[in-house]
Amino acid sequence: MSLMPGRARRLESAISICLLAVLILIGLVVFVKQSYVDMGRFGIGPPTGPELEIPPDLASFVPAGVEAISETEIYDSENLYEKINGRAALYTDSGFKKLFAQRFVSKDDKNLIMELYLYDMGNVRGAFSVYGVQRRADVNALPAFPVSYAYRTSNALYLVHGKYYIELVGFSESAELLGAMIETAQKIQANLAADSDTEIAELSLFPTENIVQGSVKLHLTNGLAFEGLTDTFTARYKVGDQIVTAFLSRRASAEEARNVAESYCKFLIDNGGAAKPATDKILEGNIIGFHYETYDTFEIVLSIGAFVIGVHEAQSQELAEKLALRLVNKLSKAANQ
Amino acid sequence: MAEKDETKLCRRKFLARAGKAGISIAAAAGLSRLLYDATGPKTGVDTESLVTLQNFSVPYKAGQTMSVVKGADRVETVRKAIELLGGIERFVKPGETVAIKPNVAFASPPILGATAHPELVAEVVRLCYSRGKAKKVYVADNPIYDPASCFMLSGIGKAASEAGAKVVLPKTHFFKPTTLAGGKLIKNWPIFYEPLKNIDKLIGIAPIKDHHRAGASMSMKNWYGLLGGRRNIFHQDINTIIAELATMVKPTLVILDGTEVMMTNGPTGGSVSDLRRANTLIASCDQVAADSFGCAFLDLKPSDLPYLAKAEKAGAGTTDYDSLKPIVTTVS
Repeated sequence: MSLMPGRARRLESAISICLLAVLILIGLVVFVKQSYVDMGRFGIGPPTGPELEIPPDLASFVPAGVEAISETEIYDSENLYEKINGRAALYTDSGFKKLFAQRFVSKDDKNLIMELYLYDMGNVRGAFSVYGVQRRADVNALPAFPVSYAYRTSNALYLVHGKYYIELVGFSESAELLGAMIETAQKIQANLAADSDTEIAELSLFPTENIVQGSVKLHLTNGLAFEGLTDTFTARYKVGDQIVTAFLSRRASAEEARNVAESYCKFLIDNGGAAKPATDKILEGNIIGFHYETYDTFEIVLSIGAFVIGVHEAQSQELAEKLALRLVNKLSKAANQ
Repeated sequence: MAEKDETKLCRRKFLARAGKAGISIAAAAGLSRLLYDATGPKTGVDTESLVTLQNFSVPYKAGQTMSVVKGADRVETVRKAIELLGGIERFVKPGETVAIKPNVAFASPPILGATAHPELVAEVVRLCYSRGKAKKVYVADNPIYDPASCFMLSGIGKAASEAGAKVVLPKTHFFKPTTLAGGKLIKNWPIFYEPLKNIDKLIGIAPIKDHHRAGASMSMKNWYGLLGGRRNIFHQDINTIIAELATMVKPTLVILDGTEVMMTNGPTGGSVSDLRRANTLIASCDQVAADSFGCAFLDLKPSDLPYLAKAEKAGAGTTDYDSLKPIVTTVS
């Protein structure tokens, strides 16, 4: 039985060696890859941490008399719950990217502790959304503070800086601590790139008379409990002893705004509302009333250009119509500018 | 000539080479078989090692199931609340071992009301020792965030230790898997078992708090801290997990602290303005009743919290707290 000549045999040997080398290489790759298996995916090991990056140097923002007492902690949407537990969903539903947190203490008084939370919300709308939804009532505004959205309580300070939502939480009520927190926030504003727009155009569209200060909120989803109302701003107004809510939502086109307004009207009627005649013709066909045992409420929904606007849970139709017309006028003026 | 010989393959050589090839293939297959892991990484636990929490409850006493005490001083209100139920002696017998499970979920100070108050925890520890003549009192919780920081900054670690309790921080081997019979979520799930393993009585201490997901965090939600693993997945079905926890954990007593109630931005809060002073403390042998009563401090009705009805249906207690004829009083 004859075999191949010498040259062919050498070629065959070379090919075999190459194939063996490839197989060994594949084996090595499999071995190395298996060594780095993410057990967290199977729920039996620690979760994969946030990707490595250089975090903002939080300690660089605190005043000279304050020093860090913990490392900078970094959380992403996978492990945010470890830090804030049940409140994590509020952030992750609003575009949350990262949280950087660190605790600090006064060098002179070890009882004066504060914690800085720097939430990267992706953009200013995400940051404003979590800021507005959590805004405390009866708080102290910071009129001299060089940002639009900031307030303080007796132990904490909250603000929006571009894509960042920032909380400075004092572990006690102290004027000294509050001073340090204000200075920290100012340094952040001056030295940390906002990486986003810092203003939100829709906020200037709400009429200012009788508005409850700090009541504007941005609901990125499920505005007024209606799935179709995304990216919806609400503001509360106090007229006499009555509180009423106005809302507006910018859509991609006038047609979309019309469709959303119609869907929301239908939603209200499907849930027990009834159409009411309007005293002003611009609101005709846009008023829906709800009758309860001891009181009535009124809703107004309409589209103006690319905006869906309206009034929510007014206790009188007159009040609802007045506020809706003010909103219409403000939008019309803004459109003409 | 030699080359010619090499180019020829005789039957003998052929069989020898075929044999070697066969041995190589068999060795490779055998090695693969040896290294093959048919099960893959374990996602659950060995069912043979499942543990079951014992029933720590005490016999029912008509008219002494729930007490509500109004007052600003937690030490005074908790003393009175327990006294109204028959005193700590009803719950803790001499020589018994007690575990106290406070809510120590966050590394935040008492002023923020996100955790059980250290003075309250310490007073219950003292009562167990002084009146109950307990042999040993453990204080334990499993915060997801660094437990040592949570116990330190909440003040609970220091207060409990000074009162004589042994503070138990979670370690990996302290967790054992459990399954709730008929449960939907608690199946082969690790719980913080070590501090509950050899005890006689279990007391829960929780503040009344708003909770972004659950609506409210009170006595029943407090048991969430016994869960190990990646328990955040249960947030997707929060009402079921709270009801299952209340069914699984049968405490001796729960103490629900409404001295200061976290009305907004729970469960973490952050500002003292999130709190409202209600100056009320509830002690109850029925955790469902306690939470049904407590939710009013958050301007909620029991029907606003679906987990209450679920727990009641599962037999964990009653939402009709009036039927228990709670004893209500005020301490100055």
